[in-house]
Amino acid sequence: MTKIWVDPARCQGHARCFMIAPETFYIDDEGYGHVVEGREGAYEEENTRKAIRNCPERAIKLVETEDA
Amino acid sequence: MSDNETLAEFDFHGKALDTIFDDYAQMHESKPVGRSSKYGGFWYICKSEDIFDAEQDPQTWSVGPSMLLPSFGTEMPLIPIDIDPPTHAGFRKLLLPMFTPMAINKLEPGMHSTAIELSDQVKSAFEDSDVVDVSALFARPYPTIIFSRLAGYPEQDWPLFDQWIDDIIYERTKSPEKAKAAGDDLIAYVQRLIDDGRAGKALEGITGELLNATIDGRPLTDDELVSYGYLLFLAGLDTTAWAIRSSLWYLARNKEAQALLRREPERIVDAAEEFLRTLSPVQAMARTAKQDTTVRGQEIKAGERVVLVFGAGNRDPEIYDNPNDIDITRENNRHLAFGGGIHRCLGSNLGRKELVISLEHFLATIPEFELAEEEPWHGVGSLRLRLTGGE
Ligand code: SF4
Repeated sequence: MTKIWVDPARCQGHARCFMIAPETFYIDDEGYGHVVEGREGAYEEENTRKAIRNCPERAIKLVETEDA
Repeated sequence: MSDNETLAEFDFHGKALDTIFDDYAQMHESKPVGRSSKYGGFWYICKSEDIFDAEQDPQTWSVGPSMLLPSFGTEMPLIPIDIDPPTHAGFRKLLLPMFTPMAINKLEPGMHSTAIELSDQVKSAFEDSDVVDVSALFARPYPTIIFSRLAGYPEQDWPLFDQWIDDIIYERTKSPEKAKAAGDDLIAYVQRLIDDGRAGKALEGITGELLNATIDGRPLTDDELVSYGYLLFLAGLDTTAWAIRSSLWYLARNKEAQALLRREPERIVDAAEEFLRTLSPVQAMARTAKQDTTVRGQEIKAGERVVLVFGAGNRDPEIYDNPNDIDITRENNRHLAFGGGIHRCLGSNLGRKELVISLEHFLATIPEFELAEEEPWHGVGSLRLRLTGGE
């Protein structure tokens, strides 16, 4: 299935994702972005899409995983 | 002058900023990678994609000897912006937690109360006078106060700061000696704070945290602390003042946009992004090629200086519809105002919040305004406004 994933090698902690879609992304203590647990499938929601489009590092990706 | 002759002397400081958006349009049209003879000669890169790639590739593009061209009036590399990997990561990591959204949120009550206070002062100034310089009364003092609180600089010292910034940032292309003298004053100031801290005086904010911080298991040296302090000072004060001033400059000339943001203040967040994209305080930053390389077909030799023109990337017609229109409702706004990659501006969360909160309170307090006379879009010089009597 398709999941939202923040590529840690790319994320530089701009926090755009969190500012735009705090229901889907959070920022850890070091300042890097992550997907809120259980929200990996929310990529069709308008806010989440806006966050993905506005990430300056293009660090937020949609990945295919094996699990159901 | 033909297009390419203008670009052959491309500059991104001072007066050159008056017409720089025309230069950008020419670059995009005819010469996306080109050579300027200014500041000892450099290549400029203007396409968003090329700038993005360069920022993601610190192995090819060094930030040494300085990300600034010309450099500020110091011999020392500024930590962390003038430091390459692998040393860079540790220095940056120290600062990161101090600039996360959560850390910045703690400053929010003070950001609101200060914005309200300064807006009220602007309002009373308008009661006494038809024309008010809101740069001097609002755009400049606001970030000075917020940043000084965060950094832990004692309030009685704040009046010193703006002159140092003017001399270091704005005089350096005209009078390097003046910039150097101001830089020395600033360094001596930060050193004095450190000495006080080492002598046992409690230091607050970032200055205090850095004094107690360790890197590779050892405390920071005086030189490192001074370098951090110097950079944060220059990065934190003037850029935000510029962003606030240029946003107000735009709004003064666009009453519809002003009315929309007054009516629907929740739009200020997106509007602020658009101001940052189009009128950003950091129009360009420099790199040095570490090896021979090619950008868009142009060969660049090891050791040559290269300028990433963020401001031009932010107006790249391949990325944005109507790139030169300032559309405060624009939603797709992935821009380069804070740079990207490992040197991305650490203060972006702080800067964005200061910009949004200051505009909110300014618009809530000051009725419809316009420019009292033509002023440049850029810089932190005066911004004289008059009230229209509308709304
Ligand atoms: S917007 Fe992108 S770079 Fe910034 S924190 Fe989110 S994922 Fe990371």
